[in-house]
Amino acid sequence: MKNGVLGEETLTISMMVNGESVVRDVPVNRTLLSVLREDLGLIGAREGCGVGECGACTVIMNGKTVNACMVLAPKADGATITTIEGLSDGEHLHPLQEAFIEEGAVQCGFCTPGMILSAKALLDENPSPTRLEIREGISGNLCRCTGYQQIVDAIELVVNRTEEAKA
Amino acid sequence: MKNRVVGERVARIGIRDKVTGHARYAADLEIKNALVLKVFRSPVAHGRVKKVMTEKAAALEGVAGVFTAADIPGENLYGIINRDQTVLASEKVRFVGDPVALVAAETEEIAEAALKAIEAEITPLPALFDPADAMAPDAPAIHEKGNILFTRKVARGDIEKGFADSDLIIEETYETRMLEHAYLEPEAGVAYRDETGCVVLLVTTQNPHADHAQLVPILNVAPDRLRVIQTETGGGFGGKLDISVQPFLALAAYLLKRPVRMVYSREESFMASAKRHPLKIRMKTGASREGKLLAMESEITADTGAYGSYGIAVATRSAVHATGPYNVPNVSVISRAVYTNNNWCGAMRGFGVPQIAIAHESQMDKLAQRLGLDPITFRLKNAFENGSVTPTGQRLEASVGIRETLKKIRPYYQTFRKEIEANPSRRYDGVRHGVGVASMWYGIGNTGHPNPSSAQMEVDRDGVVTLYTGAADIGQGSDTVLVQIAAETLGLPYERIRLVRADTTLTTDAGATSASRQTYISGRAVQEAALEIKRILTEKAAGLLKVPANMVACEDGVFFPQFREFQKIPFEEVARAGLKKGEKIRGEGVFNPETTSLDPETGQGTPYSTYAYASQVSLVAVDEVTGQVTVKRTVSAHDVGKAVNPANVEGQIFSGVAMGIGMGLFEQFYPNKTKSFDTYLIPTAMDMPEITPIIIEVPEPTGPFGAKGVGEPALIPTAPAILNAVHDATGRWVHQIPADLETIRELISEQEGG
Ligand code: FES
Ligand code: FES
Repeated sequence: MKNGVLGEETLTISMMVNGESVVRDVPVNRTLLSVLREDLGLIGAREGCGVGECGACTVIMNGKTVNACMVLAPKADGATITTIEGLSDGEHLHPLQEAFIEEGAVQCGFCTPGMILSAKALLDENPSPTRLEIREGISGNLCRCTGYQQIVDAIELVVNRTEEAKA
Repeated sequence: MKNRVVGERVARIGIRDKVTGHARYAADLEIKNALVLKVFRSPVAHGRVKKVMTEKAAALEGVAGVFTAADIPGENLYGIINRDQTVLASEKVRFVGDPVALVAAETEEIAEAALKAIEAEITPLPALFDPADAMAPDAPAIHEKGNILFTRKVARGDIEKGFADSDLIIEETYETRMLEHAYLEPEAGVAYRDETGCVVLLVTTQNPHADHAQLVPILNVAPDRLRVIQTETGGGFGGKLDISVQPFLALAAYLLKRPVRMVYSREESFMASAKRHPLKIRMKTGASREGKLLAMESEITADTGAYGSYGIAVATRSAVHATGPYNVPNVSVISRAVYTNNNWCGAMRGFGVPQIAIAHESQMDKLAQRLGLDPITFRLKNAFENGSVTPTGQRLEASVGIRETLKKIRPYYQTFRKEIEANPSRRYDGVRHGVGVASMWYGIGNTGHPNPSSAQMEVDRDGVVTLYTGAADIGQGSDTVLVQIAAETLGLPYERIRLVRADTTLTTDAGATSASRQTYISGRAVQEAALEIKRILTEKAAGLLKVPANMVACEDGVFFPQFREFQKIPFEEVARAGLKKGEKIRGEGVFNPETTSLDPETGQGTPYSTYAYASQVSLVAVDEVTGQVTVKRTVSAHDVGKAVNPANVEGQIFSGVAMGIGMGLFEQFYPNKTKSFDTYLIPTAMDMPEITPIIIEVPEPTGPFGAKGVGEPALIPTAPAILNAVHDATGRWVHQIPADLETIRELISEQEGG
């Protein structure tokens, strides 16, 4: 540990973020969310509550979803992190992103990145969830706009497409 | 001719940026060297401000400024309907959270430290938390003019005779709770002064033009010295109609001449923003033996909290809609909005109508039960139709789809009923099932006030078409719908229209994104602007094609004579013909639906030019042990006039049902206590049933392509349908929401006890 410009304790952390290695000096009390948003410009993780209750800041860390507002940056040292920006190369969208567009699963969009990442983590673990399992999988992500139905439809669409592709 | 764009499920404008995370909300805007703003808020509910000591805070290193009421260059007063709110308290504070001082600092941490260094001497005054206390003759006055903000009366027919003629009269008191909008994006914005010194605000808002109108007198600047631009907005539901961070941003940027930013924490958003008015409703309804409604009398009290905000609108709307969508010849309603020292209440999806619908729909089911009629038959016996006269004396001439909505849900009602009856365990095995119905009507636009919208369109020499609208898309999808309307009118592909929206310098006032009015009112304004362009271009095309103008059509961006379709001219060629460099073709549209103000004594008049209608059926399961109510299925039928974008309409229906479930079953905001989603529970995906949306299109002649609105109607029938289903399941009526675990357990034990 050492001290940063403002005198607070800092720590050097290294992470793989969306496939790129990142090394940063961060104050020990900073959250992963603020490092992603402020230092790395990855604004797709949104701050809806800052206290781990809404899921708008969801990112995937070592294969599991976390609320980035609840992870202190030093905890992310050595971690592999996927944010919404890591899901598409800008040209081709991830199948979940395509499906969210097709099903109209987005209104204000504030919850959307977190929702898509939770869906991705779910499908990575369980490629053919039932509708109820989909609902469970996204139950940590609040959405005030959509009533969730078109979101569930979108995720189910990806499940069905994957199954068709296999058949 | 078939519509090509209107009625299609086109993808929303901006959706790609939202799914990739690139959309920028106000908190995501990068602004160099911005100062961080924070507000010092009153710790007491009611008090006289003696002294605010800011010297210590101002002396801290990194603090750029600390402001109090004395620093406001113009009027320290605002309010969307009645002006009663201060930017920074000067004499009094009226709720816990009232802003007292504003800090601008280099960092978040310094701003926090500065807040701690501020001392305010506030002499507490007796605080009032119940409207009944506030209306008492000797109650201390929260505002100078007294504690009753507004009274609305609606009177029609002979109420006494109506009850005397009734064979059956039901009277009950209903109570609803204070609710929080809980949009996922907290209030946020940035502001700076541009090269000319103009203060520019980029802010999450539902109405940039109203923000502008309220901020100009606060800053005391010429209107063109302030510009408000709406950023991508993460939901509003009425909660972003009032100004929040705007005056702080404007003030600090103006006085300090530095860029500033302000983002509310969730806790501050809960504390500082408007809430849904809790209503206490006494309602007495009379009907004949044959099942005709004869009389309805109601007394409504709305707690508007510390400030007026939209309280007047809520008092009026709840009164005007109090019968529900039914013919009732004799009506008497008195509705009051009352000040207390609770959080101030304002607009929230439906302006009092979701609350009053709980009363009128419970009354309907009680009457139906006593009359031995099923709830749909009873509603159909009384529902409005063309030619019906509303309690304000308005004759409904067109687009009255209530009967259609009831007929469409009937088969589902019967199926759910049969399912329960065929399966006795669904009644008695500790989890009781029930089915409930509710209907609603909702006036589109502001109540009894002119509420015009305007729009402009331009076509340049390259055939680039730009639509200018002041309408704020807050996630509900007005951008998409307005562009669809423009594209359909012009015969252009949807993608060809550029949109400039919600910027007070570039666009004209479209009115608020509220009252479910943008599709209907701004949509019609856009249609008018597009028709103007179409007229000009059609004439030009007629000249080029050498045929009369009434023979010319345009489809998919190509003009052609209707009888010689092979003779085609592309849109851009027609646009270019005869245009000099820099010249543009312009069209302007204005629409102001016909309304009249309501008579102060009787409420008679035309509050809205059109109404939306809906009916909903819900199947619920009530766990007798835990008291938990689970909504299993919901079918929701909405007469929207015309679904310009059916996917958006369905999205609104799903959304409204979700908010209605929260309202009916668990949401409750406790002033000064509720601080987070930990105690303010909103529905998750697990709380939601599968919903079947049914779109009914009874066209509204004055609407664009027949469209009305759906944003608020979607919510309104939900909670009442659930409460009626709970009664069906348990035999007990719920008279106050939320019907949470304790309420239900108590109801059931009462039943067993007696
Ligand atoms: S912002 Fe992290 S959970 Fe809400
Ligand atoms: S789309 Fe607005 S919160 Fe989900």
